[in-house]
Amino acid sequence: MKLRQLKAVAQPLGFILPCMIMLGLFVYYPLVQNFIFSSFRFSAFSPEKIFIGFENYKTLFTDEIVVTALRNNIRYAVVSVLIQVCFGLVLAAILEDRVFRRFAPLFRTTFFLPVVISVSVVCLLFGFVYNPIDGLLNKFLELIGLGSLARPWLGSGKTAIWATIAVSQWHSTGYIMMLFIVAIQKIPEELYEAAEIDGAGKLRQFFVITLPQVKEMFFVSSVITVTGSFMVFNEPYILTKGGGPGTSSITIGVHMYQSGFFKDMMGYASTLAVVIFLISAFFAVIQMTAFKSGED
Amino acid sequence: MFKKIVAITIMMAVLVSFAAATGSSEQQAAASGKTTIRFFHRWPMEPRFSYFNQIVAEFEARNPDIKIEMDSVENDAYKEKIRVLISSNDVPDVFVSWSDSFAFNLVKSGKVRTLNDMLEKDKAFANSFIKSQIGPFTFGGITYGIPLTIDGKVLVYNKALWTQAGITKEPKTFDELLVILDTLKTKGHAVPILEGLSNAWAISHYQGTMLQRYLPAAVLARDYAEATGEFTHPGYKVVLERFQKLVDYMGPNATSLTHTEVRNQFIAGKLPMMYMQLAEFAYIQASATKPDFGYFNFPAFSDGQGDPGLLTGAPEGFMMSNTSKNPEAAERFFKFLLSKENAYKFVKDVGAPVAVLGAVTNENSYPALMDAITLINNVSGSAPWFDNAVNIKVADAFMRGSQAVASKDKTVDQVVADIQAAAKVVKSEATK
Repeated sequence: MKLRQLKAVAQPLGFILPCMIMLGLFVYYPLVQNFIFSSFRFSAFSPEKIFIGFENYKTLFTDEIVVTALRNNIRYAVVSVLIQVCFGLVLAAILEDRVFRRFAPLFRTTFFLPVVISVSVVCLLFGFVYNPIDGLLNKFLELIGLGSLARPWLGSGKTAIWATIAVSQWHSTGYIMMLFIVAIQKIPEELYEAAEIDGAGKLRQFFVITLPQVKEMFFVSSVITVTGSFMVFNEPYILTKGGGPGTSSITIGVHMYQSGFFKDMMGYASTLAVVIFLISAFFAVIQMTAFKSGED
Repeated sequence: MFKKIVAITIMMAVLVSFAAATGSSEQQAAASGKTTIRFFHRWPMEPRFSYFNQIVAEFEARNPDIKIEMDSVENDAYKEKIRVLISSNDVPDVFVSWSDSFAFNLVKSGKVRTLNDMLEKDKAFANSFIKSQIGPFTFGGITYGIPLTIDGKVLVYNKALWTQAGITKEPKTFDELLVILDTLKTKGHAVPILEGLSNAWAISHYQGTMLQRYLPAAVLARDYAEATGEFTHPGYKVVLERFQKLVDYMGPNATSLTHTEVRNQFIAGKLPMMYMQLAEFAYIQASATKPDFGYFNFPAFSDGQGDPGLLTGAPEGFMMSNTSKNPEAAERFFKFLLSKENAYKFVKDVGAPVAVLGAVTNENSYPALMDAITLINNVSGSAPWFDNAVNIKVADAFMRGSQAVASKDKTVDQVVADIQAAAKVVKSEATK
């Protein structure tokens, strides 16, 4: 009897243990280590670490680049939620509508195609698109008589961040759209039929059936998008050579990397990593509370 | 069920064989009894990329017991990646380094091999380089690197476009340079001079030269040193204002272009002037258009207090890791890279000047390169690249600040304040 009881306890533990060990080793240990590192000043070149307490956190509040970076991350998050999540949902709803079902596979593939291309390749590609002299975008604007709108998209502090954000939207909207398509496909067809019999139009069907039924997916994709927006690195790093001109398109991820590996302030980079962690955790909690995830 | 098991088995077999096939080349080399040497350089573009591929193939053919694992990324990315590697325990056996403070930072990691013993033992190798070019890799009497290339930065101009604009004389002062730029502008060249300001290092080249020309050497020596640098001299603001003046001639696109794109425009004969490294003459030489060009050292400021005879530029060379598992094989490859025979081939294939004595001859180079060597030998001295001369935090404030000034996102006064703030941090860290 006792042996059976022991087995009942040990068996689930045996399943959980490998996962716990991996999580501990690769997630929690580095996380704790990073918190510890944030109270030191040290160089990548030197093994010597100087304990400075909360000095790095004080620097954080006087660092103007942090403000610029956070502002850019917030811009990223707002635009990404609007375009990737909201517009992605609209796209998914249209493609899953009976009227479009015939053409849906073609559009689905077209919209999803950018997702399978590496971000680095996409950024290099858009580097050509945004080129102020021979770039596709400026040439196109000139062609349609809007030459006055042509500008050095990545070379101006006013447009660089927006041009960078636009690339991310082009790249990722298809992914979120696909998540919504999967969610919409799970909605029972009868609901739409009943609504149709009751005389509900397409728009009403979208708001009273589709939207509530994909609430969970809306939550998941919002969390993915917002946390992703606060960790964005590749796009500004490649497109605007690390957040230029100046620091106008820098994000907190790029600032962290450059502080650590360019300016050689590893402790301060750890502090910035703590900021990224706290922000991501904060948004995850807010979204979990707001959407009351898991209750459905 | 049976189908599922078969499918899973096939999938596992494919994955396992794939994993085995893509096992690191180090493991593969070890399995074949070969020693692996990791070589990291910063030239993934032609013609240097092909040159190093050939050198590696040649070395492996001559040394069948050694396998070279080569990797490369370009300039700015290299600066970051080599720092990442040095900070890890994954230091390449042989790698490229700039001289001066860049080299010194790598040396501070304690992971760079000292070369004094090797140079002492192999006198013939030690004496095969221009002595003065080893100095920038020597710290406290210990040599950590050996230069392959030597370089300098000059203002190049398209002779045909200058003649069309009626310009006959090279400028001796900055004001004369501005007159030339104005002339070119009035003759229809909306952008008489251009630089790819999206590349931070390209900005630092301008800054370094202009600061050196304008400010007294003593002021620079004090400010460039980490423990004493304050950057409070009013000359810094003047230089930034003059840089801004120069940028005004570059048109609205400079901050979104790279140095390579600008060089391509010059080579295509579309651009009258640019600031170019002597090593880049090879690109002009190898081009189909081969524009006829002239060049001159950056002119003096009439009110400047620095030596206008100095040429901005520094040697670049190789270092070895002292954590290498195969130091003997690494040394063999290191010496092979820097041999006179290969330096000769480097000049022939790449067209850039080298620090190896007797490797540049009329047979393997072209007239402009021979002139460049003469220029390097005749200038009163050389000034290091700015981003290698000062602490990277200060260099970053200068480079990013100037970029923001160029895109009109910051004023010169704001940038000067940022530089002084960065210098303050560097000073406090250095004196603590």
